[in-house]
Amino acid sequence: MPTEVIMPKVDMDMATGKLAVWHVAEGDLVKKGAALFDIETDKAAMEVEAPATGRLHHVLAAPGDTVAVGSPVAFIYAEGEAVAAAPLATAAATAATAPAAEPTAAIVPDPAAQPVATSAAQTDDAPRATPVARRLAREAGLALTALAGTGPKGRIQRIDVEAELTRKAAPALTPPIQPAAPAQPAMPAPDWVPQPGDLHVTTRKGTGTPLVLIHGFAADSTGWFALERALPADLPLIRIDLPSHGRSPLRRLSGFADLAKALVQCFDRVTQGGPVHLLGHSLGGALALAIADIRPRQIRTLSLLAPAGLGPEIDGAALNGIARATTADSLAPWLKRLTARPDGISHDFAKAAMLARIDPDLRAAQQELAQVLFPDGVQAFDLTAALDRISAPTLMLWGRDDRILPWKQALAAPGEVGLHLLRGVGHVPHIEDPDSVAALIGRHTRA
Amino acid sequence: MNAQTQFPDAQTREMSYAEAIRDAMAIALERDPTVILMGEDIGVYGGAFQVTGDLIDRFGPDRVMDTPISELGGAGVAVGAALTGLKPIFEFQFSDFAALAMEQIVNQAAKLRYMLGGEAAVPVVFRMPAGSGTGAAAQHSQSFEAWFGHVPGLKVVQPANPADAKGLLLAALEDPDPVIIFEHKLLYKMKGQVPEGYYTTPIGKAVVLRPGKDLTIVASAIMVHRALEAAAKLAKEGIDVEVIDLRCVRPIDRETIIASVKKTGKLLCVYEGVRTLGVGAEISALIAESEAFDYLDAPIQRLGGAEAPIPYNPDLERAAVPQAADIETTARRLAKGEV
Repeated sequence: MPTEVIMPKVDMDMATGKLAVWHVAEGDLVKKGAALFDIETDKAAMEVEAPATGRLHHVLAAPGDTVAVGSPVAFIYAEGEAVAAAPLATAAATAATAPAAEPTAAIVPDPAAQPVATSAAQTDDAPRATPVARRLAREAGLALTALAGTGPKGRIQRIDVEAELTRKAAPALTPPIQPAAPAQPAMPAPDWVPQPGDLHVTTRKGTGTPLVLIHGFAADSTGWFALERALPADLPLIRIDLPSHGRSPLRRLSGFADLAKALVQCFDRVTQGGPVHLLGHSLGGALALAIADIRPRQIRTLSLLAPAGLGPEIDGAALNGIARATTADSLAPWLKRLTARPDGISHDFAKAAMLARIDPDLRAAQQELAQVLFPDGVQAFDLTAALDRISAPTLMLWGRDDRILPWKQALAAPGEVGLHLLRGVGHVPHIEDPDSVAALIGRHTRA
Repeated sequence: MNAQTQFPDAQTREMSYAEAIRDAMAIALERDPTVILMGEDIGVYGGAFQVTGDLIDRFGPDRVMDTPISELGGAGVAVGAALTGLKPIFEFQFSDFAALAMEQIVNQAAKLRYMLGGEAAVPVVFRMPAGSGTGAAAQHSQSFEAWFGHVPGLKVVQPANPADAKGLLLAALEDPDPVIIFEHKLLYKMKGQVPEGYYTTPIGKAVVLRPGKDLTIVASAIMVHRALEAAAKLAKEGIDVEVIDLRCVRPIDRETIIASVKKTGKLLCVYEGVRTLGVGAEISALIAESEAFDYLDAPIQRLGGAEAPIPYNPDLERAAVPQAADIETTARRLAKGEV
């Protein structure tokens, strides 16, 4: 039996896919895993790999055709296998069961009449791209033509591919660990201005009191992407990359106090003693608490998303797993644990997240940090006393399905602290439900 | 200037680059009776740059020999002595004058082990004060690493600090083939910690002096220090530069450079020799040919000497070779994706 080649579902909400180009011509030999054809969805273009080794026959969809997800577009025959008439029955059956959202999906399976598509590479107007951008696009199944280059003369650079991967992953869920230029001095988005200093800090101008954002363990400041979009556009923001995270330098730290000291120094430098709203997630929540405890006069409001430091329990296996993972396959299971909807973590998603962790030195530094902060899978620092002392209006948001830090730790808070428990949300509320989080933060900071 | 290999366990002493070379020669003369020093004015005068210093007093004129003012003649005697079993260290007053001795270095020393089927070796060491910056003008300021690096049979090293100057000289004496050591004249007075006693620094191994993740600078000799200076400034802007001291032009340490570029994705080669057809071309090509190609995120950049003789005018002399500010500017543009 020949192997059916179908239009794959590569997005959560994808019903049809547009075939862009075939990389293998009818009758040609193809190896399992090799690029077979490109598809374009509403959100992205990507390469589809051959599901089997053999010769390609019965090409049913031509470039430009829109095909329902799950419908066959061709068949691969094993070498030597007799090529029968197009297996119409199978094709018809699959097409019928496929979600036929688009009537155009019904393609007449008449192989004889199909033009033979070839992989004729476009040499005119070929996009300019650096070698690493080409490789990453190839590995992620992105067509270069789908990318916008920000380099000189529109050259596509590493950051452009990574930005596209982030964007692609964003509709379902922004990767908790962002693929934004781990080793690159990436050009900041036009409205983000890097600040001098030991830690990587970026600011966005606006009017009013700025909101300082502190990310969690193994994340970086690009993880605020979804929340930033949901917050008012004129809200001034200050994002801090923790040591050994994102684009901050790798640093050996002896414990939470050491880390908090580094953050307070950075906070002092960027805020210059001025008033701020402060927001932290997870480990960043614990750090926000520590800062608010040390610099109470500057803090207008404090917002804590699933903050660490309020109880001993934490999913140490997930932290270590994320810090240790060297491939998308070993990273994906742990990423799934971060969210209440594990099916939102696709392979591409994990691949994009892994890109941000490609630097082995960064991974080693984070593993070491995990050991110091969470020895034996326990939160070795306790900020409940600090939480008791906080005088600024404080809001706590927690996902009911948080599997990293149990929301019941929120009960350590004194009565004045507001608590919101979000349904259908895991450990990354700002990514899983940015609109609700933004609305709550907005109300809190305006009050 | 702190481009310094670390020696955590060894007993070290601070000395200048010139003193470290003298120390290496004294140790070699003491431990190996076949080692001799030759060169113009290296005896009573102590060498054009006072590197041999008082060695003639300590080891006598049989081991520390002044040669007549004929580079071709002196180098020829050194090559002949090496063929007969001695290990001569021959000093040129300026590397520029090696042009007079090319026959002996390129056609004889580099070829004889090959042409005699390995039956003979030429363990000669040529010491060559090199580089610009001393106001010595066009005929005394050149950087010929690429010339000699182009000749199979030779080894070419460029120590950038006192410890390497000593270790590479002692390693050169252990090598059965002719080794050319370019000693940058501006480095002679540079001080650094140098391990006591005998040790060798491997020939053909570059060293990462400053780890970084945003771009790689491969530099040699005085350029290592200028690259480090630029890197320190860029660090304050959040640009994290990896600086590699090439140390050796032939053989070149492919692995270290490839690994670094795979990490950073960006490469800037900085060398004092004339930019065109220079050491940077070789480094650029080896990256373009290697698996690091697929990691490049910007065109490779080179900073080298001007396409001109080194001028006598001090301002023009400075302008003719890369300075720290030039490196800083180019590295910043490269890091920011502007090239």
